[in-house]
Amino acid sequence: MAETKTTVQTPEEAAQATEKDLFAHRISIDLTPDNAKFTKSSGGLISLEVTQPDGKVEFFERIVPVRAFPISSPEEFISIRQPDTRMGGRGDEIGMIRRLSDFRVPSAGEAAALIEDELGRRYFTPAIRKIHSFSEKFGYCYWDVTTSAGRVEFIMSNPASSIRTLEDGRVFMYDIDGNCFTIEDPAKLDKSSYKKVEIYL
Amino acid sequence: MKLLFDLSPADKAAFDAAAGEDERILYCLPFDIEFQTRVDGRMVFTNKSIYKINEGKLEAKWDFSRLSDFTVETLYGCCAFFGKVDGVSTRLCRFISGRNMPRYAIMVDACEELAKGNAGKVFSSSEPERYCQKCGRPFVMHTHICPFCQSKSETYKRLWGMTKGLRLMMLFPLLTAVLSLGIQYVVPVLQKILINEYIVRVNPEPFEENWKLHMLLIVGGIIGFSVISQILGIVQSRVAAVSGNRFTRFLRTLLFEKVQMLSMSSVQKKSTGDLMGRINNDVSVVQNFMTNLLPSYFGQIVSFVLGLVLVLTLDAKQGTHMSLFIFLPIPFVILFILAFRRMMRRLNIKSWQKGRRTNQTLQDLLSGIRVIKTYGREKAAVDEFTDCTAQQARQNEKNAKLFDTVFPLLGFALRSGSYLIMWYGNVQLFNGTLGVGELNQFNSYASILYAPLMQITTIPRNISAFTTSFGKVMEILEEEPEVSDIAKPQHFTLKGNVSVKHVTFGYESSNPVLRDVSLDVKAGEMIGIVGHSGCGKSTLINLIMRMYDPTEGSIEIDGVNLKEIGQQSLRSQMGVVLQETHLFSGSVRDNIRYAMPYATDDEVIRAARAANAHDFIMNLPQGYNTIVGEKGYSLSGGERQRVAIARALIHNPPILILDEATAALDTETEKQIQDAIDQLTTNRTTFAIAHRLSTLRNADKILVIDHGHIAEFGTHLELLNQRGIYYKLVMAQTRAALEK
Repeated sequence: MAETKTTVQTPEEAAQATEKDLFAHRISIDLTPDNAKFTKSSGGLISLEVTQPDGKVEFFERIVPVRAFPISSPEEFISIRQPDTRMGGRGDEIGMIRRLSDFRVPSAGEAAALIEDELGRRYFTPAIRKIHSFSEKFGYCYWDVTTSAGRVEFIMSNPASSIRTLEDGRVFMYDIDGNCFTIEDPAKLDKSSYKKVEIYL
Repeated sequence: MKLLFDLSPADKAAFDAAAGEDERILYCLPFDIEFQTRVDGRMVFTNKSIYKINEGKLEAKWDFSRLSDFTVETLYGCCAFFGKVDGVSTRLCRFISGRNMPRYAIMVDACEELAKGNAGKVFSSSEPERYCQKCGRPFVMHTHICPFCQSKSETYKRLWGMTKGLRLMMLFPLLTAVLSLGIQYVVPVLQKILINEYIVRVNPEPFEENWKLHMLLIVGGIIGFSVISQILGIVQSRVAAVSGNRFTRFLRTLLFEKVQMLSMSSVQKKSTGDLMGRINNDVSVVQNFMTNLLPSYFGQIVSFVLGLVLVLTLDAKQGTHMSLFIFLPIPFVILFILAFRRMMRRLNIKSWQKGRRTNQTLQDLLSGIRVIKTYGREKAAVDEFTDCTAQQARQNEKNAKLFDTVFPLLGFALRSGSYLIMWYGNVQLFNGTLGVGELNQFNSYASILYAPLMQITTIPRNISAFTTSFGKVMEILEEEPEVSDIAKPQHFTLKGNVSVKHVTFGYESSNPVLRDVSLDVKAGEMIGIVGHSGCGKSTLINLIMRMYDPTEGSIEIDGVNLKEIGQQSLRSQMGVVLQETHLFSGSVRDNIRYAMPYATDDEVIRAARAANAHDFIMNLPQGYNTIVGEKGYSLSGGERQRVAIARALIHNPPILILDEATAALDTETEKQIQDAIDQLTTNRTTFAIAHRLSTLRNADKILVIDHGHIAEFGTHLELLNQRGIYYKLVMAQTRAALEK
């Protein structure tokens, strides 16, 4: 097993650590094309070079973009974080992008496209285009659907609580594996598909 | 849990083309997602490399010599497996969450070993699958039963075994059902004679001498038979009530006994609600099926077959084609009923959903009424609720209107057979080929034949509900306790030397909570255990109490392995105070002497005094006899906790466990309890978990657990000098205290 980095320090190190260091937290900053340079790493992920307000330059080999409002405003308030470490909790926030469109300027390079692509991999919510069959057996619901990600069969435990309709009419369906499927506009489904899902809306 | 999936021939070919001579496939897992598309690819792990293969194409190959730092991350709607290639983070693959996450979690460990060049240790997982290995469908919630694959005959065999002692009683309803059916069929015969002989009088000859007596006999017979059938009905219901209730009582007791016998780990995997559901609802479903539905179905089937035979023979004798008219409408009627049921179900679900929403909104708004009032949002709350009720009312109105239209139509459809018979019978009657009596008989039989049709459509649904419930009940009955006593458990009188030797443990094997923990505690020492929540403190305590057995390593008390000590003997020598104390309904005295029901009042008072509880108990209206618990006098958190301490002390245990016993209390109360605890811990091995470090000021040694490892272990002073986690915690709490 690889050495996992814990907060345990050697006595010599700890002796030098002042109380201030012990309680120091990273301060999140607003990221703009001026202080943040996103590049594609050789591993296909995103690296970030950020200039802190005090002029210090930090480099992160890999960052993770996370949406603050994945449903209501997926293009705004994108948190740029350090990845989760294996044993510890969520990585710290490096900074936040107010609007992704801020980075759609020539000076930002391919930053917006990179982040969009990474977000596309992080949020995997295929849209349902057609419902082929729906049946309820032994306490589970079996769905056979065509989605934007291809044809999928999935299983739902309790449709009454696993199907959620948002105020704007979008429908989210969660299966027992933790997958999420959406229906952008149920009214636009074909008639036989709509009939299958209608009673749960 | 399966870690070696099959490769399709195309994938296998791709792998063979890329792999070297001396490579062995160790693990093979599926990956499901490629950018925005679902795929069915395989990740192949050999002793040298990882291969990513999709649709017969090798997409990537990484050698373990270049890989390090494996992790899995849960994203949204999918998960991803990461590693560092030459020190650069790389996403190796993505997969859908539920099914594969535990497998990849094990693969992280396995890959770390392989990257170290250590291919000898092959990881496996004892964690049970949550999906049927045969058909891939999920098991019934919280069980390992696949309703599609479980053998039906096996189910019925086991069920038969459980009806021992009740069989005669359960046979009775079947007998009475057949008898009352027989009567149903005899009565129309008598009616026929009555009509033909006396009412319509087909026979031109004069009445016999004793015709009055004859008629009386027939009329008496008709009345007598209906009286008998009523009596049979009464007897049957009474017997069914007895056998049903006995069956329920028997099954429930059996189930409850078993639940109590199961080890902590099996019980903890199931929620209280789930267990209650199984003991209450599932048993009821099984009982209802066994004692009500089954005889009723049996009766219906017998009735149908009997009616069929009778009608056909009657028809053959008469030479008419009446039976044709009885059977002709049956398929239509069944279709009609099926269609109607489906529609009814849809509408009922809709209205149930609306009702549920209203209930949820109501509960939400009522329990939050203080918040609503403080923010002045009454109007919005009223609007929200009105909207729900309006929707519900609309749906119910719609349903009621529709049902009231369709029900009469359904009745008409059911009777349509009779109308046909009437018409055809009357034609025959006029032709003189059929008597009025026979016509009446046919008509009666037709209605008997139609009656079961309404029920037949419900049979599949009821049978599936029954098999599911029965499976859930049986699963508990057949479960083996994971922590079990050895053949001849010994009783030891413990002194309290505890040593934990290289213990590794996880509730799920893919995710160890404790890793290689070793610890030696001398009798009489007090050990304070600190660490972040979820770091494994309570787990360590659970292992010492032997609620679970360690996956690896062992725990010894006074040099004896825990497994050799009888569980009963072990727990009777431990006192436990948990953060949340459960007081059972009963008096304070009963609660204190819970672990020792025959303790004298003297001992009860002594324990209460030691726990600093005596004074407040004396202030209760009925002293030690005051009823507490669910419906009794409500004690404050600190008082409950002191009762719990008294309970833990009454049998003077050599080992005492305090699992955040003071965490939920205010500082003042904590002080009082602290005083009580200080008295207790002398001459007792004590393990105390605490967030508030002041609780541990008397601890002989402090144990700091971090992410399942022992991070620091030593006296208060030693740890402060180390300036590690403990130092940081102390500083944080002192600073917080100073700021106050």
